[in-house]
Amino acid sequence: MDSLLKKHGNALKTTALILMLAIPFLLYAAALHGSILQVKLLMAIFIVNMLFVMKNG
Amino acid sequence: MIDLFFVKWILAFSPILTVLVLMIFKDWSGSRAGAAGWLVSLITATFVFGAHPVLIAYSQAKGALLSLNVLYIIWAALLLYNVVNETGAIKAIGIGIQRFSGDKSIQILIFGWIFASFLQGVAGYGVPIAVVAPLLVGLGFSPVVAVAVPAIGHSWSVTFGSMGASFQALMAVSGLGAPDLAPWSATLLGITTFLCGICAVHVYGGWKITKHSALAILVIGTAMAGTQYILAVSGMWTLGGFGASLVGLCSGLLVAKLKIYNQVPPSQTQSEMRLGWALSAYFILIGIVSSGVMIPPVEAFLGQVNLTLVFPDIVSMKGWVTQAGKGKAINIFGHGGALLLYATIIGFMVYRSKGFYQSHALKTIVQKTIKSGVPTSLGIVSMVCFAMIMDHCQMITILAEGISRVFGSIYPLVSPWIGLLGAFMTGSNTNSNVVFGVLQQETAQLAGLSAGLILAAQTTGGALGSMIAPAKILVGCSTVGLSGKEGPVLKATLQYGLIITGVVGMITMLFSFIS
Repeated sequence: MDSLLKKHGNALKTTALILMLAIPFLLYAAALHGSILQVKLLMAIFIVNMLFVMKNG
Repeated sequence: MIDLFFVKWILAFSPILTVLVLMIFKDWSGSRAGAAGWLVSLITATFVFGAHPVLIAYSQAKGALLSLNVLYIIWAALLLYNVVNETGAIKAIGIGIQRFSGDKSIQILIFGWIFASFLQGVAGYGVPIAVVAPLLVGLGFSPVVAVAVPAIGHSWSVTFGSMGASFQALMAVSGLGAPDLAPWSATLLGITTFLCGICAVHVYGGWKITKHSALAILVIGTAMAGTQYILAVSGMWTLGGFGASLVGLCSGLLVAKLKIYNQVPPSQTQSEMRLGWALSAYFILIGIVSSGVMIPPVEAFLGQVNLTLVFPDIVSMKGWVTQAGKGKAINIFGHGGALLLYATIIGFMVYRSKGFYQSHALKTIVQKTIKSGVPTSLGIVSMVCFAMIMDHCQMITILAEGISRVFGSIYPLVSPWIGLLGAFMTGSNTNSNVVFGVLQQETAQLAGLSAGLILAAQTTGGALGSMIAPAKILVGCSTVGLSGKEGPVLKATLQYGLIITGVVGMITMLFSFIS
């Protein structure tokens, strides 16, 4: 895991940033359509993304 | 009841405390601390302040819009810096200024106080720190000092900088006009002009060099504060920061000729690149930004495409309502970031036509920009997003109310602290005014105080928040190779930010007796 992070650290951080900026808009669309399940699913992905940033950002 | 409020206040403060403790005492990077703050805010908002998935969803969408507005500037500023730096121009500018004045205190004042304020006047959003910090490193200052000096030095010009965007926000939310707000705002910000100059020099060399700079600070500060006051009260507040720093630049160059500032002979080192060519990208930047914000037809033409989202009323499970409305619009072609991008592209073409680049320069520029931009952006997005969660769950209002309750009749003393808190959280004087403007106005009216004075203290605190806002510190650090090491810079700026805000609070208290 550590070697993976070391090797692809920059790419993973860039992906985390893209997710951080994209997921809120998907959350907006899901909330606007009243799909609570989608909102919760997207929130779970967002939280995992934030945990990754907190550990490796 | 009071105890329960105290517990709620502490919990509302916990995300900010998390970021502060992790960055200052644990040396965490802004991105890691921001993510931790986001998680803490999510937990407290959900379990204590009545957040629910839909509220979080909308708040994060607003946060993303706000973040994109900031990131547009940051990525463009980083690209501009790398386009300039790849030619060796930053080093050449450093050598050029050293030839003009060998006095370190004058160099600090011209770059970190005046030029940074000029950039705030025409651009803002972290550009002053992002542009000036690498220039100061080129002059031989340490990276921590290079970021801290412009962060402190430009703060006085934030409210009337960026074409008065923050002042406009204050008028919009309060419903008061410039005649009510401008005199007090220009007075308090005028006082901070001197304090920012003093602190910018002190952070570099302590009291000895501050004493040496006293005359320069007095002359230049009077010129800048006076110009800002005249422009603000005469209805030209959009040019307050820009005009004041332009006058400051002229007076600074005159002061630099005084005998006491010419005791150290200027360096005679010659650069391979002439100073004019080295600065050409910044001249282009000034020309484009000035045209883009000061010529109405150009501004109107560029401002035709705006992206935003419309949000419904958002109600927390505790009954806190966030009114329906549009999110922060992104002006695709007229945004400050777009103007920076135009300057970057033209600057790149000019440097390339003169043969200043080696082969594969473009690839190197892009790689360096991405390398420093990603960690900075991670920190900004996470912090803005947790500020939005707090805003939608009444947490920010509880923080402000707690401060006003504790201080009661001496509210003027703490009003700038509330502005500071807002700017610290969101990295923006404008956002701080939007979030806390009405609260400050209502509190002032209840206490029988001048709303104009209290709102002036709010925006002054918000302007000073620029020097301690992690979002802006992150920007500066990313341009001088301090990404992930923002703690020492924040530690340096925090003490000055707190001292100046304290002084502004005391002055506001004194003014409240006479207003």
